Amino acid sequence: MAQSNSSFPVKLYIYDLSRGMARQLSPVMLGRQLDGIWHTGVVVHGKEFFFGGAGIDNCPPSGTMLGDPDSVVDLGSTEVNEDLFKVYLDSLAESTYSGDRYNVFEHNCNTFSNDVAQFLTGRKIPSYITDLPSEILSTPFGQALRPLLDSMAINPGGNNITGQR
Amino acid sequence: MAEQGAADPVNNNNNNKPEASEGTIIKVTVKTPKDKEEIAIAEDASVTQFKEEISKRFKAKQDQLVLIFAGKILKDGDSLSQHGIKDGLTVHLVIKTAHKATDGGSTSASSSASTQVGSSSTSSPAANPASTTGPAGSGPAPTQTPNLMSGFGDLANLAGLGMGSANFMELQQQMQRQLMSNPEMLSQIMENPLVQNMMSNPDLMRQMIVANPQMQQLMERNPEISHMLNNPELMRQTMELARNPAMMQEMMRNQDRALSNLESIPGGYNALRRMYTDIQEPMFSAAREQFGNNPFSALGGASDSGVQPSRTENREPLPNPWGPPNSSNPSESGGATTGSTSTSGTTNPSVSNPLGINPGSLGNGMFNSPGMQSLLQQISENPQLMQNMLSAPYMRSMMQSLAQNPELASQVMVNNPLFAGNPQLQEQFRAQLPVFLQQMQNPEALSVMTNPRAMQALMQIQQGLQTLQTEAPGLMPSLMTGGIPGVPTGGAAPAENPASSPSSATTSPAQQQLMQQMLQMFAGGGGGSGGAGSATVHGHTRAEVTSLVCMLCFFVFFVLVLFKSLLAVFLRPRPQRCGSRPS
Repeated sequence: MAQSNSSFPVKLYIYDLSRGMARQLSPVMLGRQLDGIWHTGVVVHGKEFFFGGAGIDNCPPSGTMLGDPDSVVDLGSTEVNEDLFKVYLDSLAESTYSGDRYNVFEHNCNTFSNDVAQFLTGRKIPSYITDLPSEILSTPFGQALRPLLDSMAINPGGNNITGQR
Repeated sequence: MAEQGAADPVNNNNNNKPEASEGTIIKVTVKTPKDKEEIAIAEDASVTQFKEEISKRFKAKQDQLVLIFAGKILKDGDSLSQHGIKDGLTVHLVIKTAHKATDGGSTSASSSASTQVGSSSTSSPAANPASTTGPAGSGPAPTQTPNLMSGFGDLANLAGLGMGSANFMELQQQMQRQLMSNPEMLSQIMENPLVQNMMSNPDLMRQMIVANPQMQQLMERNPEISHMLNNPELMRQTMELARNPAMMQEMMRNQDRALSNLESIPGGYNALRRMYTDIQEPMFSAAREQFGNNPFSALGGASDSGVQPSRTENREPLPNPWGPPNSSNPSESGGATTGSTSTSGTTNPSVSNPLGINPGSLGNGMFNSPGMQSLLQQISENPQLMQNMLSAPYMRSMMQSLAQNPELASQVMVNNPLFAGNPQLQEQFRAQLPVFLQQMQNPEALSVMTNPRAMQALMQIQQGLQTLQTEAPGLMPSLMTGGIPGVPTGGAAPAENPASSPSSATTSPAQQQLMQQMLQMFAGGGGGSGGAGSATVHGHTRAEVTSLVCMLCFFVFFVLVLFKSLLAVFLRPRPQRCGSRPS
């Protein structure tokens, strides 16, 4: 198979779901400073991919209801082309990233972004994002809210669910 | 670089295939979307060889395998070391199922389109705003919109809140305004099971409160607050209060009353003011900043000057206990009765009559009030309360100052919303205040107050009288003659009072004796209806009993109100506060 050594930039879009409230309220409510409640999506091949309550989803970059990201991290580039990526995502969607596997603490959009980023570029996403659930859960407030949050699923809605035909 | 010895016990795959001469075997993790395997391979093996291993392990054809490492697709001709694949690293694998790799054409198209993000904060290379949102199988753009709004699950509210106004301060202001303008909202919030869950965890609440830096400042300046927070019992109670809106209203009403009372006490106003500025203001601002309308702020510092809209509340405590105007005391009718007022009003406390209860005074009407009953009940159930109350140092001084200055005491009474609607009552109280105040200083009297059984007895008396009233209204006139109004209508009271006064005057000594007997009897555990005082002249007996209880009730009530004020305001009895400084 002749592969072109094309290289596709990979970016990580980071959104603060709390719109700044976490930064303000977290010292009071949690006892520690959290700068945001992070949601991430990986942008590659002209699309933003993310994992939500409905499964792996994609949309045009900044196309979710979250609008524009609060920050963007350049993850490098990848040689994985779109088709290959699609195969990869399909495979993921059947296994570890099906919609019902979503858990807001343990297996969420950031988990997905991390995995995809590593697949595409070999690099992980910034640790402050992946550390967020454990930070929250280490506070009594987080523990108290856990039952509620567990039942929640964040679904910014891209309407392009991978694996759903 | 970690080199393992050639002999690897963990050689999952049977043969190493150390093709190269060096033969250092490295263990590389091969990860598929579904699976993960560790494969041992020679360090300098080629990709092809690697794929051979993999195809064996994963049961796939070699040409179905696509290996990716560090964003690069491993081509057959490469070697592992060329890509920097070392021991312990992870290589990604995609097993193509009859998919072909896309040709370069579409890929380059996608690459140019991949960075078409307009508003991305970082500069995106190849900002080719190709209209293609995706050449191959990309999403239908138009259908994005409806889903955008409908998505987001439970965070929809949050989204609506937060995203409506990007500015957090604005949002906070909004929230605050909403809460302020709509107290219902607050109660709704309180009723939210989540909030209640949160509140049922005292540690959590405490932590939340303490974590606020302003609160911490406050706590430093006023150690009482930290005591308060550290007292789990208190926190729990506070939280119970917060959770139960009805209780909360009750509490707030108490506090309102208390505060208004406090204001009138010499030195009290200053103390109040001090408390307000020291504690409440920073607390309020701290609370407001955080929560907009912190339910705890009300509990912690309560209202100032106790003016809050009275909300309807369940518990009856202390509505106007002397519902009908002027209990017994003829004083309210003024004039002619004044003399008898003093006579009846001032029965000197004696040994047998520790409270100096004047039978000619207060009336049956008091008993009809559930408020009084609850008061008595409270006292009887909680002798400690009375004891604490009476033993608090400031209490003494307060009573003293009150005794010296009956004007103030009367003012306190007046301000008390219970009496607000009843000027006659107020008059009556004013006249009797000196007596009462002296009585309060009387240790005997105090001991009676702290005796739970005595209080219980009194309660029973009251109940009995009440029953009597309903059962035998005909008795009322005779009671009236004892100077007791009794009838809630109260209209007849003034008329009766002049009539009652002479009789009350004459009955004083007799009443005292009877009262003594009464007390003894009750102390002996008689109980039962008040009339069970069995004693001699029915009318007198009852009158006396009634008045005895009335006086006592009033006394109790007065003291209780005072104490409750202080208690409620400071959240726990605290010595050397108000009263320790003479205005």
